[in-house]
Amino acid sequence: MIGLVLRGLSTRKLRSALTAIAILLGVTMISGTLVLTDQIDRAFVQIFQQGNAKIEVVVKPKPPFQDDQTEVYLNADLITAVRAAEGVQLAEPYIQVQGYVIVDGKAMDQTGGAPSFVFSSVPEALNPYTPISGRLPTASGEIAIATEIAEKSKAKVGDAVTLATQDGIKPVTIVGIVQYGDGSTSLGGSTSVLSPLIDVQNWWSLQGKASYLYAKANEGVSAEQLKANVRAALPQNDVIVQTGKENADEQASILNNLIGKIIRYALLAFAGVAVLVGAFIIYNTFSITVAQRTREFAMLRTIGASRRQILGTVVGEAFIIGLVASLVGLGLGLVFAWGLNKLFGAIGFGLPATGLILSWQAVAVSLVVGVGITVLASIFPALRATKIAPIAALREGVTLPVGRLQKLTPVIAIVIAALGATGMVFGLASDADTTSRLLTLAGGAILIFVAVAMLARFIVRPVVGVLSVPITKAAGGVGRLASENAARNPARTAVTAAALMIGIGLVVFVTIFVGGLRESFTGAIDTSLKSDVTVTARGFGGSLPVGVLDAVTAVPGVETASPVGGTAVQVDAQTLALIGVDSATITNVYSFDWNSGSDASVQGLGADKALVEDTIATSLKVQPGDAIKVQSINGASATFTVAGTYTDPTILNGIVVDQAALKPLLQSNATGLNTVFVNEALGANPDIVQAALEAALTDYPTAKVQSNAQQKEQVASSVNTILVIFYALLALSVVISLFGIVNTLVLSIFERTREIGMLRSVGTTRRQMRAMIRWEAVITSIIGGVLGVLLGIMFGWAVCKGLESEGLAFVFPTVQIVIFLVLSIVAGIVAAILPARRAAKLDVLEALQYE
Amino acid sequence: MSTQITTTPSATATDAVVVATDLSKIYGEGDSEVRALDGVSVSFPKGQLAAVMGPSGSGKSTLMHILAGLDQPTSGSVLVDGTELAGLNDQKLTLLRRDKIGFVFQFFNLLPMLTAKENIELPMKIAGTTPDAEWEATLVEATGLGTRLTHKPAELSGGQQQRVAVARALLSKPAVIFGDEPTGNLDSKTSGEVLDLLRRAVDEFGQTVIMVTHDASAAAIADRTLFLRDGKIVRDAGHLSAGEILDTIKTLE
Ligand SMILES: Nc1ncnc2c1ncn2[C@@H]1O[C@H](COP(=O)(O)OP(=O)(O)OP(=O)(O)O)[C@@H](O)[C@H]1O
Ligand SMILES: [Mg+2]
Repeated sequence: MIGLVLRGLSTRKLRSALTAIAILLGVTMISGTLVLTDQIDRAFVQIFQQGNAKIEVVVKPKPPFQDDQTEVYLNADLITAVRAAEGVQLAEPYIQVQGYVIVDGKAMDQTGGAPSFVFSSVPEALNPYTPISGRLPTASGEIAIATEIAEKSKAKVGDAVTLATQDGIKPVTIVGIVQYGDGSTSLGGSTSVLSPLIDVQNWWSLQGKASYLYAKANEGVSAEQLKANVRAALPQNDVIVQTGKENADEQASILNNLIGKIIRYALLAFAGVAVLVGAFIIYNTFSITVAQRTREFAMLRTIGASRRQILGTVVGEAFIIGLVASLVGLGLGLVFAWGLNKLFGAIGFGLPATGLILSWQAVAVSLVVGVGITVLASIFPALRATKIAPIAALREGVTLPVGRLQKLTPVIAIVIAALGATGMVFGLASDADTTSRLLTLAGGAILIFVAVAMLARFIVRPVVGVLSVPITKAAGGVGRLASENAARNPARTAVTAAALMIGIGLVVFVTIFVGGLRESFTGAIDTSLKSDVTVTARGFGGSLPVGVLDAVTAVPGVETASPVGGTAVQVDAQTLALIGVDSATITNVYSFDWNSGSDASVQGLGADKALVEDTIATSLKVQPGDAIKVQSINGASATFTVAGTYTDPTILNGIVVDQAALKPLLQSNATGLNTVFVNEALGANPDIVQAALEAALTDYPTAKVQSNAQQKEQVASSVNTILVIFYALLALSVVISLFGIVNTLVLSIFERTREIGMLRSVGTTRRQMRAMIRWEAVITSIIGGVLGVLLGIMFGWAVCKGLESEGLAFVFPTVQIVIFLVLSIVAGIVAAILPARRAAKLDVLEALQYE
Repeated sequence: MSTQITTTPSATATDAVVVATDLSKIYGEGDSEVRALDGVSVSFPKGQLAAVMGPSGSGKSTLMHILAGLDQPTSGSVLVDGTELAGLNDQKLTLLRRDKIGFVFQFFNLLPMLTAKENIELPMKIAGTTPDAEWEATLVEATGLGTRLTHKPAELSGGQQQRVAVARALLSKPAVIFGDEPTGNLDSKTSGEVLDLLRRAVDEFGQTVIMVTHDASAAAIADRTLFLRDGKIVRDAGHLSAGEILDTIKTLE
């Protein structure tokens, strides 16, 4: 039987290859993702291992809760106790903050996702950086820059440059160029500057503070031993003491959870879509070939093959195709990983990476998924093949028997659709954790896709009926024939179209979803902001120097400058933003969408009242008049009485208190100033005011001045980047579905060889033949495109409605939908190229005699 | 031998629809060489129903394919309605077939998803021309398919399907209709219906029909009977009765 399988495959080379591609691309994406994320994972581990290589013990602050956005600090004077601990050879406080050098007026910072760091320079015995020219900075006003910056800026040792700090621009001199560890690990686009501790403390308002305390052990003292000694020398509750290795592992896993895991699961989700599309195509291809081989199977049965053996030949064929495709896909995955890494770098999201790693897990997952899905998709067609009776070998024109299950298709499909809809509703509405919500949402969507694919056969004839009118107008007789051909085997056309439907559906969905996100931001800017210009801090989570507010207020043409700041707090174990506003001016620049309370409630905030955003109020179950206890990340806590609730999931999404009430709850170096909303005086020229603001803020390079329009533009451009990435990842699924169309057409042409011969003999030209195939493909792709657009709109609408409280708005993307429909038609035309050529090339005589 | 019993009905080059001169068709090379046609010259005048007979492998299908422009001869020339086929590219040959040649195949070769009427109109639809309604009505009348025109091929008998195929060939009023064993797949009763239709096509509509057949009773309706053996025309006779045909076949074997 295995011989028969192999012979079958080799005689159907093109078909086998096209089928293999359907699964190969999905496997490529899976293995590529795993390879890339393993690489990132390994890089993080290496980075932090090198960072901690020279250190036996690390002392860290112990905030009351963790928040990704907030750096926490400890008191640097604890270093005395550490130094006094037994076995300590050397101990130093260390600080990391965000900042960058400016060389020849050019900021050497990262515009993408990676941060720009300034590290306090510790002695070389503790420092992960080693100078490759010059030395480490020691005196105030000296810095060292990492090799990446030196290469990019061409700055040399001895150059006078400036450093952008929280306290404005500071003149510094480069005394060294340093390399991280042994220089083998890319830090993924982040930039590093070393500066003496005292400068970092002064320029980032961290006097007396440190991020960590590093300690090195005396000869013969183990890290564990030193850890115990240091622990004993320090107060119990304020700090965490770890060995260097523990710290490295923890930091790597934090970053990996933040970046590596997200990339991994996001990419695997898209790979899953590709595999799903591939499964449809494999199912369809096997259904068609089984139907075409009815007589062959019947003949095998007459000569004594059992049903089990028939099943074996079909499934065996699937197994081999799946295996070969998965192996090739695994190999291509390495290329994919490499390309993706380059792509991330090119769009400004440089990721750290090490050399290629192909783990056995990546190999196992790729092979199991690739082979598993192929075999699974072939099982239904294989089971149908076993139903063929031996007598079919003797009859002319036999067709596959209709299975019992097939008759129940509509019922089964409706049950599946109902299950899918339930899954989606649960995913949107339940208050389970995000992962399980997303999984049920995705599972629901898959079920709906499958159900629609099963039901699609019933709409094929009517849709073709409608389409055939314009197509016959456009292409005449061959157009009519193309329509007839498309409608001839509705199940075949439906499944082929369904594969495209999935890709298009998700493209439409992400368009709507991301459009909704953009709308939530830009809409909020339009409805909530009364201000004309906003000053914010560059980089994430950044505080503005206090001087910014005065500088802004002094600019002529500025009527109101209202400061807003914030910090991370916990209420009932929920991490939230506590926002401090200037209660005297905030209502001039921001309009509250009140649910209870009024602008008067803002004026009356005082020291102990708070306004709560509506969704947060609901989840905290508080109402006006209730008290809320707020735990700040700095350890302090405060109690506020709710004075009103308002809706704003975007701009002031948190608990609003007066600036004065915020102060005691702020982190060490937080200024309580993150944003200044600026209102221009009546009649002031906006361009002039903005230029004056920029001029007034040249001493504060971290301050960014943006008009409302610029803010919206910025949102739009980052949203567009996300969309482009989504489109690129979904494009693969669309490409796979094109192979599905190619495959179906090739198989249909093969089966209609004699018909094609007859058509050619009665005067159909080659050009007409090509047109006929092309129109058939276009009909299929239109069905797929339309179904995809409809489902995409449905999903998009459901998700936007479900997340309305988070600010997501449903915007109908008319223009894009027209584009997607046109693109699906183009896709059909492209898919038809090869099959159309084959059909047109058929020799008339041979085709006529074809058996 | 070929000159021995030549009683070719009057056929001058001018009123001939199909003229073949010195056709040879050689398959393979060297030892495996097969002369499917070996110096065949023949012409078919307008308004004639000719039958081509001969043992299996004698070259009947090959001759017909070459005459219809579906295949190229190794040497020799073919004129169809005054057009030399040699040197025509695929596009021109296709258009020639569309305009001047009709086909009736052994297997009915109807499109299963079209109705009988749509199948009849298929070549004209492809050509983008509208069938002459009166002529179509006449044809439909002649096929006796009146009430079954809206049926799909699967709902028609073999004979009915083949009459649809004949009507399809006739609709564009081609210069010549070729049939390769048009009754080969039918029983004697239904083949009679198809032969009647072909006969009427010649007698009433002035068509020219050339058909290959193994069936003596089919050949017996022809105006002219050609016998092939080993790629050569060995007898070119006028109308023969079934008995005479069977006798000739015996002498050939
Ligand atoms: N494509 C081909 N390659 C090689 N030889 C061929 C080819 N086609 C036909 N022949 C040979 O040419 C000869 C004539 O074949 P042809 O099909 O014309 O015979 P026929 O008279 O139609 O026979 P039948 O009555 O069986 O249909 C045969 O010997 C056949 O084997
Ligand atoms: Mg033959």
